Amino acid sequence: MDFLLTSILDGLLLGFVYGLAAMGLTLIWGVMNVINLSHGPIISLGMFGVYLLFSGLGINPYVALIFVAIFGLLLGIVIYFVAVNRVINAPHLSTLLATFSVAMIITGLGTAVFSASPRNVDYSLGSFTLGSATIPINRIVAAALSMLITAGLYIYLRRTRSGRYIRAVANNRNAAELMGVPSVRILALSFGIGTMLATVAGGLIATLFPFTILAGGTYELKSFVIGVLGGLGNPVGALLGGLILGVLEGIIPTFMPATWVPVIEFILFVLILMVRPQGLFGAKKS
Amino acid sequence: MAILEIRDVTSGYGEVQILWGTSLSMEEGRLTSLVGANGAGKTTLLRTVMGSIKPWQGSVWFNGQDISHLPTHAKAEMGVVLVPEGRQLFTDMSVEENLEMGASPKRARAHVARNLERVYEMFPRLKERRAQKSGTMSGGEQQMLAVARGIMAEPIVLMIDELSLGLAPVLVLDLFQSLKKLKDAGLTMMLVEQNVQMALAISDYGYVLAQGRVEIDGPSRELAENEHVRSAYLGH
Repeated sequence: MDFLLTSILDGLLLGFVYGLAAMGLTLIWGVMNVINLSHGPIISLGMFGVYLLFSGLGINPYVALIFVAIFGLLLGIVIYFVAVNRVINAPHLSTLLATFSVAMIITGLGTAVFSASPRNVDYSLGSFTLGSATIPINRIVAAALSMLITAGLYIYLRRTRSGRYIRAVANNRNAAELMGVPSVRILALSFGIGTMLATVAGGLIATLFPFTILAGGTYELKSFVIGVLGGLGNPVGALLGGLILGVLEGIIPTFMPATWVPVIEFILFVLILMVRPQGLFGAKKS
Repeated sequence: MAILEIRDVTSGYGEVQILWGTSLSMEEGRLTSLVGANGAGKTTLLRTVMGSIKPWQGSVWFNGQDISHLPTHAKAEMGVVLVPEGRQLFTDMSVEENLEMGASPKRARAHVARNLERVYEMFPRLKERRAQKSGTMSGGEQQMLAVARGIMAEPIVLMIDELSLGLAPVLVLDLFQSLKKLKDAGLTMMLVEQNVQMALAISDYGYVLAQGRVEIDGPSRELAENEHVRSAYLGH
């Protein structure tokens, strides 16, 4: 019983980080209807960002996240202008291929530079004991930061001018232009924020598990499952979807082999697409 | 003085040419109407003016400046504002957020409070519904909001596409009254309408567009008396 509780708690904490990763994917989809296939490799870059700053320069991993976030934002803006903007009005296949090529470039360069051997950020804050459950503090911090960033994103989208522009462009790009909103710049900014969330999520994951340059792919797939669970284009749904996935990952290995986790996840993915394609939390459709 | 001028514009979509050398000019402080049958090219003309499609030939001038190739948002920033056909509200946003979005141009930001008060006075219904999601309102209320959002942009020229489309006649009358007040306050406007009778009744000067060309233009009162206009558009 205690063992189950620990697993659930563990999964729940991890779920916040999954949610954060998925939010990057889902924000970009929600604003510009682009499935960003470079999401996974960008998560990997976040992992390596924290790793390099920590191992190379001795910067505290949580401080390193700030630099990783800025890098992620700028990288996303560059990717938008280089690869996405020219095909933004083309059919979905074009944007899929464009972001897929970005993924191939990042993965190719990353493998050449870092090889595919595993790394880890050797930085532990110890653990926290609650009854018979022992929780690594790294996980608690990662969950707390993810929550904080989600709240920050929510407030940003609601309360700031550029946040409001992002929602307006997502809702009706043409009308936003007519009201004087430079929509191309707003799309670039949205893409940047999406990739920023991905790199930060990657950086947080790096403080929890060992990883390789290819590790982001796993989280990209999780992000898709979460996006479908929570409704693509819905940041709060992404967080809730992340929590559900996290808990499932905590519970499933307690009664069946852990290798079954992705199988169950993708059965869920297909089932939801069949039964409730708008997501469990009824996302908007514009 | 002409504040907005369209000179010999040809444009269209892909291979399909819609405008065949259209020229018109809007005098400052005047309410100009652009009328014509469905498919005459009215909306295409507005899209060309706003820059959502580019003119193939010819040019668009605002305040003595060639704005033919500026992006849409830059034109809104200058004060050329369109209330588009079909309202195009931010349906996921509240009424007040839509109005705040209207005040996006830099020149409008300083006057948000004043303009909010102004549009709420003009359309008290919007004030009652300020927190409601705009997509859930009735057609008439949505049209009020679309016009109010345009006013929030602090326009120098306000163009309104198909104000009356799909609305009950009594509502249309109300909206036209509001426009009359705006005109009396000195705003330069263009009304693009299929409802020829109403548009000519309220405007100072009119253009009749047919097959992508200006067929006839003149003071609205004269147009309303014109034999051809009466038989072709007014049904008597």
